[in-house]
Amino acid sequence: MLIYIINRILQIIPVIFILSILVFGFVHALPGDVIDTLTATDGEEDPEVRAALEKEFGLDKPIYVQYFIWIGNVLQGDFGKSLVTRRPVNIELLERIPATVYLALVGIGLSILIAVPLGTLAAVRRNTLTDYTAQISSLAGISIPEFWFAILCILLFALHLGWLPSSGYAPFFSEPGKSIWYLILPALAVGFRQAAFTTRLTRSSMLDELSKDYVDTARSLGLSERKVIYKYTLRNAMIPTITISGLQLASLLGGTVVLETIFSWPGIGLAIYSAIQLRDFPVIQAGVLVLGIMVVIINLLVDITYRVLNPRVGMG
Amino acid sequence: MSDQQLQSRQRVDTISPDDTPFAIRMRRIQAVSRNALDELLKSKTATIGAIMMIFLLSVCILTPILATHSPIKTNYRIRLEPASAEHYFGTDKFGRDIYSRVLWGGQRIVLISLAAVTFGLILGIPLGVFAGFFGGRFDAISMRFVDGLIAFPGLLLYLLIITVAREWKLEGFWNDLILVFALGVNTMPEIARLTRGTAMVESKREYVEAAHVVGEGSFYIALREILPNIISPLIVNATVRLGFIILIIAALSFLGLGTPPPTPDWGSDLNVARQHMETNPMIAVYPGLAICYSVLAFNLFGDGLRDILDPRTQDR
Repeated sequence: MLIYIINRILQIIPVIFILSILVFGFVHALPGDVIDTLTATDGEEDPEVRAALEKEFGLDKPIYVQYFIWIGNVLQGDFGKSLVTRRPVNIELLERIPATVYLALVGIGLSILIAVPLGTLAAVRRNTLTDYTAQISSLAGISIPEFWFAILCILLFALHLGWLPSSGYAPFFSEPGKSIWYLILPALAVGFRQAAFTTRLTRSSMLDELSKDYVDTARSLGLSERKVIYKYTLRNAMIPTITISGLQLASLLGGTVVLETIFSWPGIGLAIYSAIQLRDFPVIQAGVLVLGIMVVIINLLVDITYRVLNPRVGMG
Repeated sequence: MSDQQLQSRQRVDTISPDDTPFAIRMRRIQAVSRNALDELLKSKTATIGAIMMIFLLSVCILTPILATHSPIKTNYRIRLEPASAEHYFGTDKFGRDIYSRVLWGGQRIVLISLAAVTFGLILGIPLGVFAGFFGGRFDAISMRFVDGLIAFPGLLLYLLIITVAREWKLEGFWNDLILVFALGVNTMPEIARLTRGTAMVESKREYVEAAHVVGEGSFYIALREILPNIISPLIVNATVRLGFIILIIAALSFLGLGTPPPTPDWGSDLNVARQHMETNPMIAVYPGLAICYSVLAFNLFGDGLRDILDPRTQDR
């Protein structure tokens, strides 16, 4: 087990390496460079000034040396400064990460609360009206674009009924009540689509488990159906559900950009989005790298959890 | 095997002496397609999905005939009109016919997603087949590369690529091409992994050994013997992927990162409609419904196809 964990940790190093090269390559694929941006206001540019600036920013060195200088700084937590606000990028990002994680976690939690009972019920009452309703609504949930669902939610709950605010954010620790108030609609939009995925998954893994021999054994021993389902089957069926929810958490961290924009939720996705609008490249670069690394680490944790929960899984 | 299937096979196998090779081949094709249709009709999901998909594709092909107005011609005298006999879905804030815009936008989004999935298949299948078939170092290196790409948060990858495309001032066709490239590159890892997994299992089968013994070359075996046998999970994955890509394209253009304004586009039309949500909520409904319909069509068909092709889940 320990060997497996060490192995997996070693495996993510090249992945992060490739990620960093992609992000670094992105900035170098842009036309022009930092100096163009800095000297843009001065009109004509002096070749000597340019040479001096190139030296200052290390642009006179070969590209792989530049890469190692950059990655060295990143490893020390220095992502450079935002071109727009002139503040260090890592401070900007640190303020944004909690909001995204908060939204993603509550969204996933909400989806599990909806999906696990629904999926279990659909599997237990297979081929009944309950099952068909659950299947059809989860299929519809997968097919509805989340931003459209969010717009319709705002239309109904914020504009028509006036029950909930259409946008805004408050940190949970200072103003918990207000924070949850603002969170309801975004979390609903995040949770709805995830719930659709998780319902389908729970249903099919419950069906898998229910067809296994141990269920027949438990039934023939005279255990109540309730006990068979809730104590034994559901527990085993939860393994893939938990794994996939973890993976979805990872993809959510990178995917809430659209919802964060709609609800003006000050997360890392919105930060990257506005940085794209303002051409604030250091922020884009750092934001994507940080999110990417978070995704890789969550995937790793999910893999390890899966192994712990289900030791029969091979090393592959 | 049912009696009916047996009969149709026998019909193919009984060849009268005066049959030309062409006639034999035609009859074989006929029997195969009849079998395929029989299988398809067995799954309700696949049948509904297929009908929806055929309708969607024919509407896309017939768009120039079905559209009643130019999708980009503005007319300020008829701004924000409700649905009428002249404008089936009403008009948007520039007085453009929404019905025609939805049609043209559909043709564009379906074409792009088809191109992107095809590109992903072209990249992913050879990589997966060779990695699975040859194994060893090639497998290890290419799969680490694929892992790196999988770890890359999808939406962020598109944001990066599209930002670069914008800085290079790529417009119109080139912008779409970049989108196809980005979506294709992001489709590739999943396809490659799926192909590799099944190719690895297949490469241990007897028929591959037989091919080795007969003296067929490795490349020939990989492409002509193994590939046809692993194609069905790939078709399922590609179909579901089509719907997923439509959602991504819509989300990107919703964020204003698709094709610039006058081009009809479901995502950016939704974003524009957001401004008139209080007074004309119906404008936001049509493009959204169109997205739902297309994604649902591909999802249903993919789901049904999976049930047909994967005998393990057939009885569900």
